[in-house]
Amino acid sequence: MMADEATRRVFPTEPASHLRPRSRSVKSLVSTPESSFWRTFRSSTLHPSYLHLPITSLSFSPNSSLLAAASSTSVRVFSSLSLSEYDPDFDPTLFATLPLPDLAYSPSFRCDGALIAAGCENGAVRVFDLPNDKPPKTLRRLNAHSCASRVVGFPLLDHKLRLFSAGDDALFVQWDLPTETPLFSVPGAHRDYIRAGSPSPVSPDVFVTGSYDHTVKIWDARVDSGASSVLSINHGHPVESVLFLPSGGLVATAGGNTIKIWDVIAGGKPVYSVETHNKTVTALTLAKVRDDTRLLSVSIDGYLKSFDFSRFKITHSMRYPAPLLSVAFSPTGTIRVVGTNNGAMYMGIKKKKDEFEDQVGSDDFAWSVPLPEKPTSRKNIRYFKRGQSEKPSEGDFIIKRPEKVKLKEHDRLLRKFLHKDALVSVLKTQQTTSIMAVLEELVARRKLIKCISNLDNDELKLLLSFISKKATQPWCARFLMDLAKWVLEIRAEDIRSGGPEMAVHVRNLRSMVAHEIQVQRSLQEIQGMISPLLVIAGK
Amino acid sequence: MIVGGQSLVTSPPVFSHDGKKLLVCTGCTVSVFSTTTGMLITELEGHTERVTSIVVVPVAGTVGTKFSNYCWTASLDGMIFYWDFSTPDLLKKVNVQLPVHSFVIPNILSASLGRSDKASQNLYAFISVEDANKEVENGKHLHGSIQIYDLTNSTRAGGVLAETHKPETLAVSKSGEFVGIKKKQQLNIWRVPNKNLKSVNMKKLKLHHTRTLSCLAFHPTKCIVAAGDVSGRILIWRGFGKMRHSQDGGGKMKIDMGDRPGVRGEDDADSCSTWHWHSSEIKFLMFSSDEAYLFSGAKEGVIVVWQLDMGNKTYKPNIGSPLMYFTDSPDPSLSCVSCEDNQIHLLRMPSMDIIKSISGIKPPLILSELQGDRSRVTIGCDRSIGFVALPTKDYRIQFFSLLDGTDISHLQVIERNYDPVDETTVFISLVEVSDDGSMMSTVEEKLPEMGIGGLISLKFWIRGSHTGQYTLSTIIYEPHNNAGVSDMAFCPGRSMAVSTSYCGNFKVWVNNSSFIHSGDEIQEKGGWRCQSVSSYKEIPMTAAAFSGDGSVLAVAAETKITLWDPLNNVLVAIIGDSLGPIRRLAFVGSSEYIMSFSSGTKADLVVWNISNLSRHWSYKLLVEDICCTRSETRVAVLALLSSSDKSISAGKDGMVLVFDVENPIPVSTWFVKKAKGGRLSFINNKLGEATDGKLLLAYINGEHNYVLFDPSNVKEQEDLIPKSARRPQSYAHDENVSHGYASIYGELPSFDLTKARSSDSIPFVSSKRPWETIFSGSSHALPPLSKLCSPFLESLLEKAEKQTVLSQ
Repeated sequence: MMADEATRRVFPTEPASHLRPRSRSVKSLVSTPESSFWRTFRSSTLHPSYLHLPITSLSFSPNSSLLAAASSTSVRVFSSLSLSEYDPDFDPTLFATLPLPDLAYSPSFRCDGALIAAGCENGAVRVFDLPNDKPPKTLRRLNAHSCASRVVGFPLLDHKLRLFSAGDDALFVQWDLPTETPLFSVPGAHRDYIRAGSPSPVSPDVFVTGSYDHTVKIWDARVDSGASSVLSINHGHPVESVLFLPSGGLVATAGGNTIKIWDVIAGGKPVYSVETHNKTVTALTLAKVRDDTRLLSVSIDGYLKSFDFSRFKITHSMRYPAPLLSVAFSPTGTIRVVGTNNGAMYMGIKKKKDEFEDQVGSDDFAWSVPLPEKPTSRKNIRYFKRGQSEKPSEGDFIIKRPEKVKLKEHDRLLRKFLHKDALVSVLKTQQTTSIMAVLEELVARRKLIKCISNLDNDELKLLLSFISKKATQPWCARFLMDLAKWVLEIRAEDIRSGGPEMAVHVRNLRSMVAHEIQVQRSLQEIQGMISPLLVIAGK
Repeated sequence: MIVGGQSLVTSPPVFSHDGKKLLVCTGCTVSVFSTTTGMLITELEGHTERVTSIVVVPVAGTVGTKFSNYCWTASLDGMIFYWDFSTPDLLKKVNVQLPVHSFVIPNILSASLGRSDKASQNLYAFISVEDANKEVENGKHLHGSIQIYDLTNSTRAGGVLAETHKPETLAVSKSGEFVGIKKKQQLNIWRVPNKNLKSVNMKKLKLHHTRTLSCLAFHPTKCIVAAGDVSGRILIWRGFGKMRHSQDGGGKMKIDMGDRPGVRGEDDADSCSTWHWHSSEIKFLMFSSDEAYLFSGAKEGVIVVWQLDMGNKTYKPNIGSPLMYFTDSPDPSLSCVSCEDNQIHLLRMPSMDIIKSISGIKPPLILSELQGDRSRVTIGCDRSIGFVALPTKDYRIQFFSLLDGTDISHLQVIERNYDPVDETTVFISLVEVSDDGSMMSTVEEKLPEMGIGGLISLKFWIRGSHTGQYTLSTIIYEPHNNAGVSDMAFCPGRSMAVSTSYCGNFKVWVNNSSFIHSGDEIQEKGGWRCQSVSSYKEIPMTAAAFSGDGSVLAVAAETKITLWDPLNNVLVAIIGDSLGPIRRLAFVGSSEYIMSFSSGTKADLVVWNISNLSRHWSYKLLVEDICCTRSETRVAVLALLSSSDKSISAGKDGMVLVFDVENPIPVSTWFVKKAKGGRLSFINNKLGEATDGKLLLAYINGEHNYVLFDPSNVKEQEDLIPKSARRPQSYAHDENVSHGYASIYGELPSFDLTKARSSDSIPFVSSKRPWETIFSGSSHALPPLSKLCSPFLESLLEKAEKQTVLSQ
């Protein structure tokens, strides 16, 4: 009993979808909220050293927005506040350069950002002080590794006196910083180079390491069980990067071209596996996208991909012109840095205000009580003089004007029952699907034959050229073949006297028909060959 | 017993004096709807035939609060009733004795006013009656006549005002000054005198036109009359009747022949102007209450608003159906328009927005140029909750609840703009709803023009969260290449369907849709796919049915029934020949029987036994529909009676028989009207407290009127009451089914009863040579020769399909 006529829709003429050719385009470029988020980053390039040496590791300080980049024999620390005003000629952004005796690896900030540690090719691990105004100085040298100490990390939790490191000598050590002594040491933790490690976000004594022996092992410093780990997971490829996801229960591992998510609490159960990169995935990091967290992965194939691990879906991917080795995302969620193997760093700095953030609002203000809105003063004369140009205020219910139906030219003509004009206008557009739709609609209205007989010579040429082009297309052949027959029959006289142009169309049509007959014949031959096979297969 | 499905648009509806209620003629009753909610308030029951006109007693000022809800109704049963429709009470009956087709009370305003001060003034009504028995005069069949009737004294006032070929609709001006009819190519108008109303002193005024007129309307105050003709022209006569009506005074006035633009001959009018926009017959004309506009409507479904002075026009399109009547209410902001698709739209007046729609069951789809069985438009039926799915002309499906008698929802099946003027070239030819209502399939056909561009497509729908809400699951274009789909059936308890086609194969469709997580939303992937294709000797497949447990699929290959294993696509058995091509199949509950009927010249109804693949029993009956219960062994059959059968009285062209499948003797029988195109269905009884799981039998006739009843209940009554009284009982029920048969023709004649009774007893299939069997039997039981003679001779003369009957 509803007034359904009020909402009666207007249907444009559209061909039934069996007549519509399958679109070849893989995906329409629909803008998702995620892609619009990533588009708000303004990208720039940075060459920390002019030597074109690979940037093996990048790290953001947890609170003071410093960025450390390891390349060649030094770790360069940038102040990310000034990164945006980066000038390639003069380099004021460089906050500090940490000298290391050999190739530097894996800079890591302490949770308060006051200290930074880095590994080195010769196995030494150094801890530096980062005072604001003075040059950095080496505080501690930790020597235990005999080969390159590739993995150095402070615990994520508030545990300022601990550090862990691992290296190519398959040694895993947890250090006590003040005394420079190892607290927990596992020689031969893996059977190959350890190239990845991550501290747990929920416990200061739990770590995960990944090695080129394809395994990922979880260590608990509280359990002194010799060389055996708490948990061992086989990734299946040499592990390049491991990462605890924020819950601490899931571990993401990258090796080969796959990223795998494991449930640690459930005893190392595989949860999901992503194979979207074409080459080896080199680094993983977490990124804050609006309210969600994404797993960013970079690969030698030059792609940065954003993976939503709550929905197990790749939400965005970006292409860079060089193989990527490292990635970092600032804790504030405003800077994204990737490091390449040719010494360039590509940065994205969030400039534009994200339109979604307006709606969401930042966490800082979520707890503050919103101020009561100032009621509109009715005494104000302007209130009474509101006119058409008055903007709706927040909370007003907006009654929208019913949207005007946009109709194409042929649809408008069809609505006015100008059938021939509609046919001519759609023939001029040369869009096959629209032409087919109008032809079908004319059939439904029983007006097609009349239209054909009413076309004048120029319009007939249009129709003939359309038919002679498309008559043997499989998806409209049945319709157009019959139509061609009728057109030739009804307008035989006009075609004969229509001049050379008409003759060309007819000739085209004839050659097309001849071609089609040939095709059909060869298809029949093939069918003849296949059908005995099918009969045999059916038995 | 539930009766419903009456047309709301047989006569114009009338608003109550305050515009809060709308009185609509629905068959033998008058339904009172609320204009604010669009819901039924009450019904006035009393007439025994179709109600044709309603006149609401107007209320002037504070005087008539007592009469605020009073109305007069006239019906084809020759009665005029006076009602208080608020209670509702029947206050007065006036017997006119002739079927009243239209009636108006011109002086009702003054009379009702006068009623309060002096009760002397009589109430006169102009009635348009049909007199079928009138003798032919001068070779003219003048069936209709216009008469004046004194309602106060219940007497005819004077003679006949006018005679017409068929009863015409009367029009009256608002002031009650003029009454008019259209009569072929002319208008007849009478001025109603204030007192002394006698037919002798009524002067008739004629206005002529060159085409047949279709409707007329009077201006509320001025001497302007508008008439529409069959070609869509509107004629406006201004200043009519000045001379003729003033001649009563005595002085002869000269007719000024010059300066009368558009007026024909000696017609008595100042001017006549013609407007032309509509392309077909004008269905209604109505002057607006502010006297500035004229509304007109026709088949296009567009209300045209003419500015009376200038002839400028504005339009109200998108009503979506051919228009029938336009009624304005005392409330100037409300009016209503009746559409041919059995809907009444209430309009908010100046803007003409549709506020509410009162919709009845959609009328059947009539496909004129299509012939035979091929274009049989079937309606779907959901047994579990008792609604039917009816294909409508505007490419939709209406879901109509039989138990509540209300329209549930509409579903757009074909995405195409509907234009009422177009002939039907695209239509929904088949609707099939699965037993539990969770799945539905529709078949739509697009007819080719000169062999170009025909298309048949099959759509599968899945029920959403609400009743009658379906979402499209799969479209299959050309399911059987070019050939039409003859029947569809859903497998109970499984997502499986079968479609049969005239090209000689049938396809089993399965829904193996898997739900995949693609991004945020869960998408349905797959949908309905063809599982297997089979054919039997390339014979056209005409019907299909699944057994109750879904393990056996029966497909009719013209005269044979083939039984298949639907899962493995293996032919299991073939059951022998029926006489003609089988139209429908049905498994009888969980028993071993399957029922089939065929139509055409060799119509029959056969019950087959599956276990021994033989014919169990059969009738030579022209059957329209069969339906079986899923659990019991009862079957209901709707049979058409051949016109040669003398036992059938006029109007009754079918009967509903309920059988127990084991026994060829029907358990009960009812005669019904308009059985052609009717449908039967058992539906679960969920109404009221009687939820005892008993099945109701729903019978929907060819005009989509329907009745629901419990067949077993009626049988109990049959057992209780004496046999003589039994028949009227069932007939009384039958009257409710259709249109008050007994009211016209009185009680049924007795021979009808005996004949019908005997037909219950021993029916058998007549062989090719009935004269061999008709006289067989023991001699003491042989009926008298006089009774045998006529069937014998008939059997010699014709071989028409009919049930030969041997009386005991």
